[in-house]
Amino acid sequence: MNSFIVKGLVLAGVLIVATLVVIKQMHIDLSDPINLITFLGAIAIAVLTFGVGAKYMAQMKTDTAGGELAEENWDGIGEYKNELPAGWAWSFFGTMVWAVWYFLWGYPLNAYSQIGEYNKEVKAYNAKFEKKFEAAAKDPATLRDMGESIFLVQCAPCHGETGDGLSGKAQDFEQRMSKKQVLAVLKSGQHQLMYPLGAMPAGLASGQQAEEVAAYIAGGMKGKAPAAWATCAGCHGQDGTGNGGTAPNLKTYDETLVTHVLKHGKTGIIGHMPAFPGRFTPIQEKALAAYLQTLKQ
Amino acid sequence: MFHWLEKNPFLFSVGVFIVIAFAGLVEILPNFAEASRPIKGLKPYTVLQLAGKEVYKKDNCIACHSQLIRPFKSETDRYGKYSLSGEYAYDRPFLWGSKRTGPDLHRVGNYRTPDWHANHMWDPKSVVPDSIMPAYKHQFKNVADMKTAYAEAVTVKKVFNTPYGDEIQPGKAAFEKYYKTIALPEALKIAKAMKNKDVLAMVQQGKIPEIVALVAYLERLK
Repeated sequence: MNSFIVKGLVLAGVLIVATLVVIKQMHIDLSDPINLITFLGAIAIAVLTFGVGAKYMAQMKTDTAGGELAEENWDGIGEYKNELPAGWAWSFFGTMVWAVWYFLWGYPLNAYSQIGEYNKEVKAYNAKFEKKFEAAAKDPATLRDMGESIFLVQCAPCHGETGDGLSGKAQDFEQRMSKKQVLAVLKSGQHQLMYPLGAMPAGLASGQQAEEVAAYIAGGMKGKAPAAWATCAGCHGQDGTGNGGTAPNLKTYDETLVTHVLKHGKTGIIGHMPAFPGRFTPIQEKALAAYLQTLKQ
Repeated sequence: MFHWLEKNPFLFSVGVFIVIAFAGLVEILPNFAEASRPIKGLKPYTVLQLAGKEVYKKDNCIACHSQLIRPFKSETDRYGKYSLSGEYAYDRPFLWGSKRTGPDLHRVGNYRTPDWHANHMWDPKSVVPDSIMPAYKHQFKNVADMKTAYAEAVTVKKVFNTPYGDEIQPGKAAFEKYYKTIALPEALKIAKAMKNKDVLAMVQQGKIPEIVALVAYLERLK
């Protein structure tokens, strides 16, 4: 046997033994099919690399050139008319056939759509999200946490990280409405949020009556309601919570209010808040409302 | 069989080039042709917005902010709808950026207001406590270069057929008319929404500070 082949096989053997040592040392479980396949693959690579390498090195030592020379030669460099190795030629031919299939049927032009992949990702994500939070949505603590994380990313830049409105730059969530805001709305009327009960006309209360109502609403509706409250209660409900979602809730940031403001945006005496239509899922809006309500204290 | 190819090196090179460029020719070129067309309803930048775009470039906003929302759920959740190539049809050059030290700005006009920008550019930490963005107070004093912006509008109208109306015409008189009747009222609207007295006073005197132009540009990013 040729000494090159012997040396090659010995080297391959050494590598296999080294692999076995590693397997032993790291307690790799060969009953796991993936581990077993990897191990067998390592042996095959070692044997083939050194075996084939050694064979051709040996051949280079003894082989002499032979065969018929092609007619052309380039500055004295000629070329043998050797037959192509059959395996190589057939593989080459195979790739050509495969390429035709690939271009025309396997993966035709413009078959891939980035947006299609995005839509798939969103669909899968939404399905996962809904399933995960179906149960959690009923748990107030989870809802609050979810609302907080949304608030910190989407709302905090304007309303402040604590929701205090950054000293008058935006709505202060520690309060539902300030006295000034109530007075402004009473004076100008309101129909930005498109509640089912329709527009609130301007001038429903004025002077002393307006002052009393504004103080009552701004104070969180504690104590005895002033006489003029009856006018407000007609739409906003006796307790001011908005008559089951048909008019804005004056007491707290409930889900209906959050949904309406996000959908339509709002312009008030502080300034303008842009609308965020379609930005959040219903459950995210519910979570936001849950979080805003905890800011009230 | 193929020796004739080796004997014609030029022809062979052309052939190799076509084979290598094939994927690019069939995939990239048609996409370029379509993407360079503006999406439906896209309007060219007003001169004030162009001046703001120059401020954006000059103060190197692009170093920290991108203008390209990729179609990934994590990005569209935070920044809004993914960007389409046709939206950049009037951007010369586009300001996609390649690094996000700050957030993406491609749809910032949807969710920020002029007064927020004014507070933020004057002192970023006043609205975002953990912000590492520097303040850009000079924008409140420096006057925006409206003449260059106007010249740019005239140029792209002529060279690229950007669909501006008759209000954009070459000449000093045309510029002055545009400035008074279109640019100043546009700037005044922004300045009023910004609630900054000094800025408002400046615009009322007929000078447009950089911040107004920049906010006009940022409001346009939707």
